[in-house]
Amino acid sequence: MFEKIISGGKLEKKVIKDIKTHLRILCSALECFRNFISNEDKEEISCVIDLEREADSIRREIISTIHQGAFLPYIRPNICRFIEMVDEAFDTLEDAAFEFRYIKNELYKTIKDECEQIAKINSAMCEILSIAFDTLIEKKGDLKEKNLAIRIYEKKVDDLKFEITEKLRNLEITNFWDGKILSDFVEYITKISDLIEDASDYLYIIEISLK
Amino acid sequence: MNTKVKDIMNTKLETIKPDATVFDAIEKLVDKRIRSILVLPKDEKDVYGVITVRDIVFKVISKNLDPQKIKVEEIASKPIISIDKETELKHLIKLMEKFNIARVFVHDAREIIGVVSLLDVLSATLVERARRY
Repeated sequence: MFEKIISGGKLEKKVIKDIKTHLRILCSALECFRNFISNEDKEEISCVIDLEREADSIRREIISTIHQGAFLPYIRPNICRFIEMVDEAFDTLEDAAFEFRYIKNELYKTIKDECEQIAKINSAMCEILSIAFDTLIEKKGDLKEKNLAIRIYEKKVDDLKFEITEKLRNLEITNFWDGKILSDFVEYITKISDLIEDASDYLYIIEISLK
Repeated sequence: MNTKVKDIMNTKLETIKPDATVFDAIEKLVDKRIRSILVLPKDEKDVYGVITVRDIVFKVISKNLDPQKIKVEEIASKPIISIDKETELKHLIKLMEKFNIARVFVHDAREIIGVVSLLDVLSATLVERARRY
C-alpha cells in the first residue's frame, strides 16, 4: 500500500526521479563549495552558481508535476515543503559562495579550519539526506537513524559556529563591510546544516503521514 | 566499521604547563567547557599527563586544599593512555572498555595530536549506520 501511494504512477515516478537528481546536484554543489573554500580559489565559485541554476529548473519541474496530480493531495504539501527546504539550502549556499568572493583573506585565515570542517559536514549531511530519501521511497533501512545522524552532524556545526564566534569576537575589524561580509558568510555556511536538518524532518513527517 | 580514530578525533587540544596552578586549570576547564586538559611534558625526558575535573574534585576540592597553591603536576595522571591515529574504531572501543575510560588521547609517533571521547565514538557509529541502507 505504502509503495502504491508513494511511487505508484508515472507522474509520481517522475517526481521521485527529479527529487533524487535535485539532491544529487545539492551534494555536488556542496562538494564544489568545499573545494573552493579549501583552495581559496574565488574563481571556482561559478560551479556553485551553475549547479544552483540547474537545480532551480528541476525544482520548477518537480512542483509543476506535483500540480499536475502526482501523489495524493494530503501528501503534496509536505513533499513541496521538503523541496522548498532543499531549494533554500541551495540559495543559502549560493549566498555563502558570493560572500566568500569578497572576504579579506587575512580575516578568513582566522576561521579557515572551522569553515572547512563545516563545509565537510554539510557535504556529509547532504549525502545522508539523499540516502534518507531513498530509504523513504524504497522502504529499506530505518529513516529514524538517518534523521538522528543528520541531527548529530547539525550539533557539530553548532559547536563549530560557537568556536568561530569566540574567535571573531577577538578579531579587530576596521572596516564595516569587511566585518559584515565575514559575519554573513559564517551565518550562511552554518544555516545550510539547519536547512538540511529541516528537510530531513519533513521526510520523517511524510513517512509518519503515510502510516 | 572501518572508521579510524583520526577520522573522528577532536584536534582542538587544550594544554597546560605542569607548573601552572590547579586554579589556572579550573579557569581553562570552565572557559572552554571541557572536562580534561593535556599536561605538557616538563622536559624531553618527561611524558604527557592529563588533569581532569575528577582529579580536581577528588584530590583538591574534597580535601579542602587551595587550588591556587597546588601545582597541576602534583595531581595530574601520568603517563596518559593514548592510541595511534590509524587505529580502527573497534579497537578503540575495546581499549576504552578495558580501562573504563571516557576519553583517549591520539598520538602520531610521539606527539599527541587529538582526543576522542565516548560521545565521538557513539556519534561516529550512528553516522556510519545511517550511511548504510
